[in-house]
Amino acid sequence: MKKLRLAIIGLTACSGCQLSLLNCEEELPGLLDLFEFHLFPMACSPALLEGEYDAALVEGCVSTPHERELLLELRKRSQYLIALGTCAVWGGVAALRNGEDREVLRQQVYGQSRIACETAEPQPLRSVVRVDAVINGCPPEKNELLGLLADLARGTLPAEIDYPVCTECRMRENLCLLTEGDKLCLGLLTSGGCKARCPSMAVPCEGCRGPVPEANLAEAMELYAQKGFDRITVLERLCRFYPEWKL
Amino acid sequence: MAARFISHDNLELLLERLRMYGNLHGPVRGDDGVVRFTALSPGTPPDLSAVRSLLPPKKYLLHPRETILTYTADAGYQLPSEENSPLILFGLHPCDLAGIQYLDRLFLGDDPDLLYTARRAALTLIGISCTPDDFCSCHRFATPLEAVSDLFLASVDGGYVVTSSSPRGYELLKGVQELLEEREIESPEDSRRFFGQAVSGPAFSELDATLPEWQELANHCLGCGACSLCCPTCACFDVLECGGLDGDSAVRVRRWDNCLFKSHAQVAGGMNFRKDRAERFRYRYRHKYRGFGPLRGFPACVGCGRCRVACPAGLDLRPLAERLEGAHHEQ
Amino acid sequence: MNSNLPVQATVVTICPMTPDTSMVTLRTEVSHPVAASFLPGQFLELSIPGVGEIPISYCGLPSSDGSIELCIRHVGHVTTALKSVVTGAAVAVRGPFGRGFPLSRYAGQDLLLIAGGLGMAPLRSLLLALLKQRKAWGRLLVLYGAREIRALLFANELMELQSCGEIELQLTVDHREKCLDGPPGCRVALLPALLEHLVVDPERTCAAICGPPVVYPYLLTGLRQLGLSDKRIYLSLERRMKCGIGRCGHCAVGTLLCCVDGPVFSGAELAGVEGALV
Repeated sequence: MKKLRLAIIGLTACSGCQLSLLNCEEELPGLLDLFEFHLFPMACSPALLEGEYDAALVEGCVSTPHERELLLELRKRSQYLIALGTCAVWGGVAALRNGEDREVLRQQVYGQSRIACETAEPQPLRSVVRVDAVINGCPPEKNELLGLLADLARGTLPAEIDYPVCTECRMRENLCLLTEGDKLCLGLLTSGGCKARCPSMAVPCEGCRGPVPEANLAEAMELYAQKGFDRITVLERLCRFYPEWKL
Repeated sequence: MAARFISHDNLELLLERLRMYGNLHGPVRGDDGVVRFTALSPGTPPDLSAVRSLLPPKKYLLHPRETILTYTADAGYQLPSEENSPLILFGLHPCDLAGIQYLDRLFLGDDPDLLYTARRAALTLIGISCTPDDFCSCHRFATPLEAVSDLFLASVDGGYVVTSSSPRGYELLKGVQELLEEREIESPEDSRRFFGQAVSGPAFSELDATLPEWQELANHCLGCGACSLCCPTCACFDVLECGGLDGDSAVRVRRWDNCLFKSHAQVAGGMNFRKDRAERFRYRYRHKYRGFGPLRGFPACVGCGRCRVACPAGLDLRPLAERLEGAHHEQ
Repeated sequence: MNSNLPVQATVVTICPMTPDTSMVTLRTEVSHPVAASFLPGQFLELSIPGVGEIPISYCGLPSSDGSIELCIRHVGHVTTALKSVVTGAAVAVRGPFGRGFPLSRYAGQDLLLIAGGLGMAPLRSLLLALLKQRKAWGRLLVLYGAREIRALLFANELMELQSCGEIELQLTVDHREKCLDGPPGCRVALLPALLEHLVVDPERTCAAICGPPVVYPYLLTGLRQLGLSDKRIYLSLERRMKCGIGRCGHCAVGTLLCCVDGPVFSGAELAGVEGALV
């Protein structure tokens, strides 16, 4: 079987998603039989963008003109382009600015000193290019990453996850941290697939996988209000991983 | 009437004896307060005062996520083989027993599901009477379902009256004979609230889609799926194929699904036959109160109240059902 | 036999018919019911190992050599993966499932087959079955519409049948590509328009319909205007039939399950059923 040619790159993000892949130590040698990691600057050198790719896995959001160009170039060269991790899918932490003006923030952080590179409003990949599939998570789950690769090896893509964190949380028979534990758990609004990793450890969901399809924000806000959480607190929490949550 | 009686004091000995017949599971209240069916190891007493467990016992018969086929290039698709050691479920309430009977109809019929069949064969059901709370509606609807168990413990003063209703139950009864005493007891109140009656009401008529209740339910639904996961008779499953990293092998998995999820009626190309949530609620309603396919006209609600308890928004189909189906109220 | 267990099959040929549709011939175990005994309108579940399983209508006739003809549009993730499957590749099938077209009810009748787009696939199976006993039926009218000329499936096969007098054929396309000459007589109109000037005897005509869901209400209206009663109209519904045996719960229409009660229903059975005709 012909090996699939992959490009794995990071834009503005912490590289944690790529690291999650590198952390699959047991599986990595086997992956080399199926894939040619042609462009993977974080793991292999040299790193040259050349030829065509069967799939490009892109971590991070787009926040500089250079990243925008790179992404467009990758899109042109790749049969499939996959948004890897919450920053790439939703903007994520890198796009967080609590509704503050960008210029004000720039002044606060950099003062009068010049920034070496030009930046723009951080955007998820889909604001710039067509995205064929997404892997949510901050960082993504190992089994989802490997599942994606297994799918790619067969010329297919993972299906969209359309259920929230609560679904898997109930399957695991956890105490409901919101209704029974009175905690600000964002599981109701957050895309599932993590097997309710945090609530299963009695830690409220932080919403790191971004919004679930058809999230019912109005009703959830009602519920949070009943539990004593005001709208601003909840929205600020939600916006950490998806800045565009709005009522 | 002469009956076999077991005193509360002897219950622990009974459990000890039952462990000789297989793995013993029952409702246990965890440190977090959640009641789950789990192993009743010595020193872990069942919580017999709990009205309901979070997940129903269907989790033993249909796992939330399980492999239904394995594939290799050489052998093609194969059914998985599974070792099922005998499992005794202790402390099942009549609604849960009825729920299992419903699943039996669905999975043991003409074309039995092999995984279900094998697990079911390894299962011994020991029922117990219960005290319904405000969420329960087992007495409100007539359903042809019955609470069938191998052994049933009906609560009476100071203990339980034990009856067997299967060869397996009879055998167990013999095995624990010295813990029981023959007593003259007024027949205990039958807490099994399933009367085996035919469905009444306009079961085959269509539902009025213009009722405001559908939209009302849809507006409040958070789409979390808790209602189905916690339902003893909800058995919709999604099927996923997971390729192995060798590029060759694969497993096919089925996973509990929910009719309120977006993808439930979606087909290739994106067309969705139940696009809006109000429609999905009518689907849910039909399935729960009218049944479809081979179980058409066969209400699936056993009245355990879990959906109402588990729903973060407190949604409840019951009042609507009482209006639409003409409920049988307790005398 | 366990209907949950797919049997192995091999891809014999895979021929592109239109830019997005292929004719796939499979071969499986000789005389296995999945290939040897099905009714037109029934479906099978096709697996591509490691990718998934999908319901597909039969497009040909039952065979004694284990071969199966399927007409597949590459739109979903399994059908897209099928595009890159090569001859000789291992796939798997299980079935047949569901209720097909009620051939016995059609005896002696004139038959009106109405197909839209990919709906021609199951109706081709029906047509081939009808032609095998051509004398058992009266007129065979085929009305077939597609998006555009190059999306017409089996056009040559149908025109040949027309020219030797076996069937009466009317073709239409939603819009005509500039550079293509369509088959002679092909109209540019939406499918239901073909019913407008049709002359049939409503007391001895049955209709079999398969097409995109959106045309069903219009076709039903048109057929009723021709005087056909709902009992004489049979429609094949497309739904998400995952298990094929009435368990997974996805293909419900009202209280009917498409995979066991259908996918072929009479118009009368679907009257008043919510979501049946959308």
